[in-house]
Amino acid sequence: MSADPEAKPIPGFDIVATYRRILNDDAELTMPVAAIEALVEAIAQSSVSTVAETLDLLERHTAALKASIANPISLSAGTDLFQRYLITTLNRPASLNLGPDDDFRAIRNHLLSNGKLFVDRAKQSREKIASFGKHFIRDGATVLTNGGSRVVGALLRRAAESSTLRFKVVYVLPSSKSCDSKEGHQTVADLRDHNIPVATIPDSAVAYSLGKVDMIIVGAEGVVENGGIISRMGTYQLGVLAKSKGKPLYVVAESHKFVRLYPLSQFDLPIEQKVLDFKVAEEPKEEHHSKNEQQRNVFDEAIADMTAKTHVTPLDAYDAVDFTPPDLISGIITESGVLTPSAVSEELIKIWF
Amino acid sequence: MSDDIVAEVAPATEPTVTTSPTQDSPATANGDTADASKKISPAELKKQKQAEKQAKRAQAKSSTSTPSQQQGPFKDGSKQQKDSKQTPKDDKSRPLPLRRRPSQTNAPAMKEQPEKKPKKEPKQAGLFFGHLYSQPKQQSLVGASKDVHPAVLALGLQYSSYAICGSTARMVAMLLVFKTVIEAYQTPPGNSLARHLTSHHLGPQIEFLKSCRPLSISMGNAIRWLKDIIIKIDPSTPENEAKRDLVEEIDIFIRERVTAADRLIRDLAATKIQPGDVVLTYAASSIVEETFLHAHKSGIPFTVIVVDSKPLFEGKQLARKLANDGLTVRYYLITGASHAVKDATKVFFGAHAMMSNGRLYSRVGTALVSMLANAHSLPVIVLCQSVKFTEKVALDSIVGNEVAPAEELLSEAERRDLLPLKSRLATAKNDDKSTLEDIPADTTDVLKWIEDAKNLHYLQVLYDVTPAEYINMVITEYGSLPPSSVPVVHRLSTNI
Repeated sequence: MSADPEAKPIPGFDIVATYRRILNDDAELTMPVAAIEALVEAIAQSSVSTVAETLDLLERHTAALKASIANPISLSAGTDLFQRYLITTLNRPASLNLGPDDDFRAIRNHLLSNGKLFVDRAKQSREKIASFGKHFIRDGATVLTNGGSRVVGALLRRAAESSTLRFKVVYVLPSSKSCDSKEGHQTVADLRDHNIPVATIPDSAVAYSLGKVDMIIVGAEGVVENGGIISRMGTYQLGVLAKSKGKPLYVVAESHKFVRLYPLSQFDLPIEQKVLDFKVAEEPKEEHHSKNEQQRNVFDEAIADMTAKTHVTPLDAYDAVDFTPPDLISGIITESGVLTPSAVSEELIKIWF
Repeated sequence: MSDDIVAEVAPATEPTVTTSPTQDSPATANGDTADASKKISPAELKKQKQAEKQAKRAQAKSSTSTPSQQQGPFKDGSKQQKDSKQTPKDDKSRPLPLRRRPSQTNAPAMKEQPEKKPKKEPKQAGLFFGHLYSQPKQQSLVGASKDVHPAVLALGLQYSSYAICGSTARMVAMLLVFKTVIEAYQTPPGNSLARHLTSHHLGPQIEFLKSCRPLSISMGNAIRWLKDIIIKIDPSTPENEAKRDLVEEIDIFIRERVTAADRLIRDLAATKIQPGDVVLTYAASSIVEETFLHAHKSGIPFTVIVVDSKPLFEGKQLARKLANDGLTVRYYLITGASHAVKDATKVFFGAHAMMSNGRLYSRVGTALVSMLANAHSLPVIVLCQSVKFTEKVALDSIVGNEVAPAEELLSEAERRDLLPLKSRLATAKNDDKSTLEDIPADTTDVLKWIEDAKNLHYLQVLYDVTPAEYINMVITEYGSLPPSSVPVVHRLSTNI
């Protein structure tokens, strides 16, 4: 297994296809969990017999996965977590209590079964978050959400099922071109079925509606080290508006979405986004500029282009993400409890050291 | 501080016999007590002692709960502190001290104080920073304990003259010198190294260093670590072996906590410098310098703005070094910081210490620059080894700080500029007019004027505290963290 990392990964096993298949098979699955499941499958199908080989295999698969999609932030949360878990268990096989004559096969089996356990737990965590989070919705409250997130959907549905809670929802509909839009309509329809009054508004009406809103709940693609979140484009401006009006903004996210990333600004993300596309004359294309994007200076854009990878098509404005800094977030609701943004770093340090 | 409380309060307890117990001015209390103690008879003396005891007991109770008494008027407070320090000397020369109890010995001595140095007393005590002047700074070898190792003496002078400056450099220099100290150490017969070395041998060295310049947080951490490993030495270990182990441990400590940590921080911080960035820094920090040079060597095109200020002008050195290495550098004084910030895209700071409430304790002026940066929504990044983390918290820059002596406040040129003002000063001071006329104009005089002036205070603090909300990221060898995670990493780095 001395192949260089650039070489074609293991013949016969296509990690990217596996990942896509897993993601398609189970609509409930998030990207990091699907990535972990794909990696577990990869190890199961391979014939690795040493620790170093396992890690090497994992690294190559992870690299292949990350290269294959435009926005690997969420995915890398899963792969990093799995890799970290593997390293700690493989370095201390004694802690697994496999008995004195443990061989690598036993460790591997243990890993595989634990990987599956992790996936199962991750699926349950959404329900757990919903049960935590529904207490944040007070009777008679109006909740604003920007949808798209399955955890937010689960939380609102759970709250709707409770017979004692009456609340209203303002739903910021994603753009129809976005891949989230179907999910959004589904959630709206579900809530309306549960007798929850739902108003749908476009992005531009958020500031207008805030006066009637008591709290804001958003989902996240990744929760970064400083407690900020990476989420669907528009979350940042939602946060800025909410802060200026003094409305609490809660984030719901499973803790496997915690990612070791520390963006300093919107343009410090390790992905390329074709949001600001400066053009002249020929074809004047209608563009949605959010407030924060207009501040972006031309120089940064040039840099982003220089450093970008060329083989992946960049995200366009509708599927792009932005970074919401921690000072705009009131709390992060995870399956292990409700955290302040500053506690995220503590959790990550616990995992990594 | 506790002995200061006693010293200050004890005289006030005495007059309970003769006068009313509510004495607000300790100076008057001293006068009364001196008179009173002469008059009283043995019987009264006994009575007085009892009253005293009661008062003292009451004082012990209230001293913790009434800080106002001690803090109240700063001038009086520090005057008392001074007096109490001088008493041992005066006391010895007195032929027959009335009583030898520590709470009272200073009472007679105080009587002569007010006349002796009435001018100097209110000086230095002014403003909010009076408490920082309590310990006079050691600038020479005079008065050093005989136990102090020559290498430590040399180091102490390098500290007080700022030849070795910067929290990391001071810590490393201290540990290296301690290696020599440990090697030169011989356990006296009947003692074990683990028990004797720390308290009897290292103690005086540390005391001397402390008198030269207050210990930095990192030095405090290193000393705590060193004491901890000394105490853990098995008493049965042969002395040579134990000493060798200690020296090795110190080397490992420096390698792991400073050298390797620096490299990790440097590599991580350099990735935060993007092509085209204009990185602003304040004063100088070895780790910031390393980061800039590393990023420059790896071919990232960026420019640096160095903002600098009195009294040490550390930024000059940094700007020179960076410029010599081919970086484009702009140098501003802090008066131009608001302009410098406009051009910058990122701000990098070194640290003296990171407090547990996420605040940054660093060269005075850092808070100002970081606030400016925050107002321009620039990311403020602090580079700091975890050895500089402390469990202390700081709410302001006043309670814990360090003052620099007056000669560092005014440069030679500035003093020369002030010389023409001498004539005005002489008219203001009638008593020694003639002597002033005689002495030829000398720049060192300027400092004397300041010292003698009743209504002119000088204040030169060396550090300030930057609130956590102005800091976006702290880069340590453990990775990058928000300032709120400082206590977590501190716990992590000390518990291993």
